[in-house]
Formats: sequence, C-alpha cells, structure tokens
Amino acid sequence: MDDPSQRLLRRLLRRIPAGNLKTTLEKWGRLTAAQWRTIDFTQTKSSIVQMLAFCAENEFTMKHITELEMMYVIDNPNKGMWYAFQLIDPEADSQSLELTQFKEQFKSHLCELVRNVSVKIKKHTDEAVWIRIAWGDSYSRPNHLKPTYIVHHLQTPYVFVTGLSPKQRPLVSQALVLSSRYHAIKAANLSGRNLTAIRDLLMKQYQQVFPTRFPSPLSERNQSVSNPQIEREHAGHKENRLQMASETFGDGMLPQLQSSVYKLETKFRDRANQTMTEREEPFKCVVKFASTNLLESLKLCVSSGIASTPVTPLLSSIPLKGRNYFVITDNGPAPSSQMPLSQN
Amino acid sequence: MSLLKPFSKLPCLNSANILLVESDEEFQQSLADALVDETDFTVNVRLAKSLPLPVENEESRPRIDLVVFIINLTSELSFQSTEASLKYLDPGYFLGKVCFMATNARNASVPTERLDAVRKLAASLHCPLLFAEDQTPDGVANATERLLTILKVAAGLVPMATPLYLSNLTRCTVPLDIDQPSFD
Repeated sequence: MDDPSQRLLRRLLRRIPAGNLKTTLEKWGRLTAAQWRTIDFTQTKSSIVQMLAFCAENEFTMKHITELEMMYVIDNPNKGMWYAFQLIDPEADSQSLELTQFKEQFKSHLCELVRNVSVKIKKHTDEAVWIRIAWGDSYSRPNHLKPTYIVHHLQTPYVFVTGLSPKQRPLVSQALVLSSRYHAIKAANLSGRNLTAIRDLLMKQYQQVFPTRFPSPLSERNQSVSNPQIEREHAGHKENRLQMASETFGDGMLPQLQSSVYKLETKFRDRANQTMTEREEPFKCVVKFASTNLLESLKLCVSSGIASTPVTPLLSSIPLKGRNYFVITDNGPAPSSQMPLSQN
Repeated sequence: MSLLKPFSKLPCLNSANILLVESDEEFQQSLADALVDETDFTVNVRLAKSLPLPVENEESRPRIDLVVFIINLTSELSFQSTEASLKYLDPGYFLGKVCFMATNARNASVPTERLDAVRKLAASLHCPLLFAEDQTPDGVANATERLLTILKVAAGLVPMATPLYLSNLTRCTVPLDIDQPSFD
C-alpha cells in the first residue's frame, strides 16, 4: 500500500471516534473474517496499527480507503461547515434528470475542466447524491487529504457543499450547472455545521404549524396549572405568543442552526447622537446571533415575550426563506416597501 | 388608565388574594404552588406578567390584598418591566399592600447599581423588600413563609394589625451613603 494511502488511512482512523469505528468498518466489509476477529476495539492505538497491517496485507488502494472515508462521512454528516447553493433557471428537462445521466455528465464535465481530479459519486438511500472530489492539477496527483463533498438531491434545486475553496468554486459550479440542466447557480446564503439541519430548513422538512382560528390543542398543552386557586391573568396573551412563535418557527424538533449573521449597511440613526447621524455614508456593522440551537432560542424569545410579536421579518425570514446570512440596506423613498430594509 | 384598586370590591370570608407580578414568569409558578398549600385560610394566587391586567378578567377577579413584584436582579428587563407596571397601581396599594421580592441577589453578574436602584425604588414607595432564593425547595418555602406573614396582615386576618402599621416596621430603607462608592 503506497504512502499517500497509508497517510490517509491513518488520518481517517484517528478521526473516527472509537464508538463509530466498529460499525463503520463492519459496513465497509472489506476485512476478512479472520482479521475481523483479531482486532481489539477497546484499545484505539493498537487497533489502528492492526488495521494498517491488515490493509497492507489486503493490498488496499486509495480507492478503497476513499470508499471507507465516504461511508463514514455519509453516516456522520454533521461535521465541518456546509454551505447551501441553489440552482436557478431550470431548462425544460431538468425535472426528469436521471441519476446515471447526471453522474456521467458531472464526471465528464469536471474532468474536462481540471486534469487529475478524482471524483466518486454515490447515491444514498434517501435520494441524495453524494459526490466526493479530490483535487489535483496538471503537476500533482489528487490530494485526498482535503476532499470536497457535495450533496445534491435530484429534482430539487438545492446543493450542499463542504470543503470547497474559492478557487475551486467556479469549476464545481460549472460542472453542476451543465450536468443538472439549469442555467445558473447562486449561493443560498445558508450555512451551518449540521447538514441535516440546513437540508431540513431549506426543504421545510420539519413540523410546520399552520394558522388556525381555534388553537385549542395548544392551550391544552400548557396545563401545568390545574389548581383552581391559581389563576393566570395573561393566559390568553401567552397562548397567542406561543401560537405565533410556533407558526413562524415550527414545532417539535427544530433544525439545528448555529448562527445567523446580519450585515448592516444602513445609516446611523440615533436622535441623541447628532454627529454620527449627520454622516452621509452608511454605518457598516455586522450583527451575529449564535447559539447551539438558534431556531429554538429565537422561538423561546418570541413565546416568552422578549421579542415582540408579530415576529419581525428579520427573524422570521430565517425559517421562511431558509437563509441565515442577510445584507440589510436602506431603501430609497420607495412607497411599496414599508420596512426600511431590502435583502440581497 | 385602568388602575388596580384596593378597596373597590368586597372581601371574602377567611381567604386572602395575592397577585404575583413577574416578567420572567418562572419563580411565580413554584411560589404559587407553595402558597396554596396553606391550610389556616384559603390563599388564591393570581399570576401576571406585568400590569395592566387584562380587562376581560375584571369581573371575575377578586379583591387583591397583596401585590408582589418579583424582580430578577440578573435581568434589566425585569426591573424595567416592574417600574413600568407600578404606574398601573392605585396609590391606595402603597399603604402596605405592595411588596418587592428580589431573586438572584448573590449572583456575581449582578451590577451593584441595579441592586441599589431596586432598594431606592422600594424605599421611595415605603414598601418592604424581600430577598429570595428561587432555585431550591428550601428557598421557595422560606419565601412563601415570609410572604404569608405579610399577606395575613394585608388581608386583615390578624387582629390589631393593619398593613400600614406593618409596612412601617418592615419597609425598606436605604443608608444615607448609598451613593458613595463602596470599598470592594
């Protein structure tokens, strides 16, 4: 087994936490029964050494190791930073795109653009196409230590990418656009650590709450007070806030976003501070909200009354439009927009 | 403006009504559960987030004997909400029928200015200021006991004691040098 493969394997084995190692290797299924029995999974260091020995024995190539890595990443996609992209302007036959067609076209387009690139495409059980790209150039072999992973759901215009450098982005964009029969691709302004979360947010795959005239199920949920001697004055208000929060953000398990960023390019407005307000240029600043589960925190802010209802579009755009990066500018004196912000 | 008035309704026999006003709506729930366990007389607890109270409940609401403002010292919003709610109380309540309860006073992140501001507020209104610990059941029981003592007097269930008399003894006072910097 050659050197780069060994390096990749060693790094991969160190990356996989001890708990997942056994299941991942089992799924991979390339070790013989005898080798499987002799590995002791309770000791990580020695199991790594044993694994290396077995792989050398079985003469695995880079192809097999990357297969293992891909399998591990598919099962644990919630690491690293994922960015969402959207394909726009579909051609007539983009909806009827087949997997094999897409695979062949993508591979051929990308290989035309870049020499020495290694592409691996796999279809996951939940209709997502996973693409792993290791980049090389005319002078060097593909670098498997820094792969790019792309996830695309066929028949939807959404693409999720991790590990892509700005130089490689136009190449991938072009290959994707040509092979999926759209005209262009743009950044969807959504990013997060959790692939399942951003996917669920964009495709609205979490529990939605629809406006209803008689929200009686919600009022039953708040039955912590059953004592007739205790009376809540603002029970109606609390129900209203909870209903509005649920309508905006959804119910049940919300997708785990980590942050939302607002880039403000608006003029400074403060009646107390004349010197700053007099300036003509916009006051540039960036506001970032961060949390382990941002949508849950925002929902709690609304339902407990800290954020005023009706929910401001700045917050409600996150689940509604499925983005967490906003640029806010002052609108000119346009009568059509009531809020002094425009999002690009 | 819809003021809450202390004597506009008739009292009930052997019972007392207490209103807990808290912007965070957390401590009031555990306090309420402990307060209704009182057996000597019936305690009716009403929970509110802020004043003014909704007009819809005006008919069914009994006469409130004691209004307790719960201020979480770690939250500025809590203090501001309390200050805003005070405007909706009839001045008759400030003769011994209002009490302030502050939580999280031992928290290191509480700025001293806020605690001083709460004390000045309570002192200017001649009301008692209690400090409570809301995280443990012991703390809740303690706070309940002290509230019940004041409530019994405010509801007129203690002979020979009026709320105005009690408030004279229990009201918060600020030392004259409260505005001087301390030597911490």
